[in-house]
Amino acid sequence: MGAPLRDAAAVAGVGYTPFGKDSGVSTTTLACEAILAALDDAGLGPEDVDGIATHRVGDSSPPWVVAPALGIEDQGWYLDQFGGGSVSHAVLGQAAMAIAAGVAETVVCYRAINARSEFRMGGQGRPPAGAFDLQYQAPYGLLAPAQHYALLARAHMLAYGTAHEHLGAVAVGQREKAAGNPRALKRAPITMEDYLASRWIAEPFRLLDCCLETDGACALVLTSAERARDLRRPPVNITAAAWGGGHSSYSGAGAGGIGADTTTSAAARLAPRLYAMAGLGPADVDVAELYDCFTWTVLVQLEDYGFCAKGEGGPYAASGALRIGGELPVNTHGGFLSEGYVHGINHAAEAVQQLRGDAGPRQVPGAEVALSTAQPGYVLAGTSALLLTAAR
Amino acid sequence: MPGAPPAAEPRRPRPAPRTPPVPQAGGADLRQKGEETMTEPERPRPGADRDSAAWWELVRGHRLAVQRCTGCALLRFPAREYCPACRSRSWEWQDSAGTGRVASWTVTHQPFHPAFAAEVPYTVLRVALDDGPGLHCWGRLAGAGPEVLAAGLPVEAVFTDAGPGLTLVDWRPAAPRR
Repeated sequence: MGAPLRDAAAVAGVGYTPFGKDSGVSTTTLACEAILAALDDAGLGPEDVDGIATHRVGDSSPPWVVAPALGIEDQGWYLDQFGGGSVSHAVLGQAAMAIAAGVAETVVCYRAINARSEFRMGGQGRPPAGAFDLQYQAPYGLLAPAQHYALLARAHMLAYGTAHEHLGAVAVGQREKAAGNPRALKRAPITMEDYLASRWIAEPFRLLDCCLETDGACALVLTSAERARDLRRPPVNITAAAWGGGHSSYSGAGAGGIGADTTTSAAARLAPRLYAMAGLGPADVDVAELYDCFTWTVLVQLEDYGFCAKGEGGPYAASGALRIGGELPVNTHGGFLSEGYVHGINHAAEAVQQLRGDAGPRQVPGAEVALSTAQPGYVLAGTSALLLTAAR
Repeated sequence: MPGAPPAAEPRRPRPAPRTPPVPQAGGADLRQKGEETMTEPERPRPGADRDSAAWWELVRGHRLAVQRCTGCALLRFPAREYCPACRSRSWEWQDSAGTGRVASWTVTHQPFHPAFAAEVPYTVLRVALDDGPGLHCWGRLAGAGPEVLAAGLPVEAVFTDAGPGLTLVDWRPAAPRR
């Protein structure tokens, strides 16, 4: 018998706001719009909701504001998770746990951010995180995620010969897929020459290595797998959820220097748990939506989720394997680099559409198993991920 | 009993907290009183925590130190009260050799914060200390341009007094040894 969580909950609906650079509205409004769209997709309404969950870093409207705004006055179960991209899939996993435990039947999960017009990552408008590692970094001008991931990417390049063109292959390939996504903020094709000519942000990252700071929201409706079968859309089961992995405090502040080697991410520890819960392995995955705040995080996750050997992420990405018709289609919506950055949940939403078979021109034919992942970690000591399966 | 921490031993005296204490993180405005300026944005200074205040105090005296667990001898940084290996709370400062190897670097071109806008491009290093495994610091590259950088390049600490009550640890290529 599998874990009680396995296939207990399903995604019954997904919803979005438009993505852009200035929504002109509050994060409460963004959250409500995405939640209502997701409920409509599922054929449900706010009166059916008895749970609500999100994550935030002081930059968004919490469940206790959003739920009453939608007339949900008794939140049967709620989660206001502190954290950024690394916990994006932990929110979904915990909602599935609440459903599996019988604490809630129908949970809306959302992330709503004005990440361009109000709160820029690592920049102005955002309250600083607690001291901890930041006190040893910020005074040197080491502040923004781009800089932190640049340090990790550089170490990977030094260790394995990962090349600028390997990073570029991710950027160019994801833009190619975004052409088939009407939600995507960036759909015009780019070439490797365009990539290499784009300006430096924090070496080794160029502008086209960085995701799009986005205003927008996305929501998923989760309910029991049993109930989902009776709803409007083909259900997509949450077959496995896992989080943790440690190995992220890249100061190396641990016994024997845990976290000292930044060329491996928290995903390497999480992946075996995730696959074991599902009874599946990397070879079973038909499509993967891998957290891509920067190009490099795709490469390290290709390795750490077992799709290629350690150090081979760059050549694997450059081989064409990540295309829609390739061995492992990755970030079929264009990812944060081209669709937009909603901090993780839009990866899960895309995975759901792939497994429902309604991804249009970017559909991976016959996709039945999808991996969707969170930020692989340099802060908050871990990552999170889901394995989703078409409940046919 | 496995995992049981050894009995807490008397702790070595540590430098007295600075007065006034280092500002705590949690607000964007971390400037100190009397430092108001309309022209130059303040460098972000997340505050020390109760584990690290003494470490920063040592740095202000141009000492770079790591903690040495007196239970199991593990060296650790950043400062924490418990040893992550043996869970002892007994520790002492050990002076770092002040040397390390370049583990990674990034050259920042984008001005992410107004306080650093006039400094781009600048190079931040992640340095593996020679004192032991798993000890990493961050700091600016000093005394050279990024073209000299390579994996494992030997570097040595330099102390930069960056303003009232703030001393930073930067890194310059180590002088060749004879």
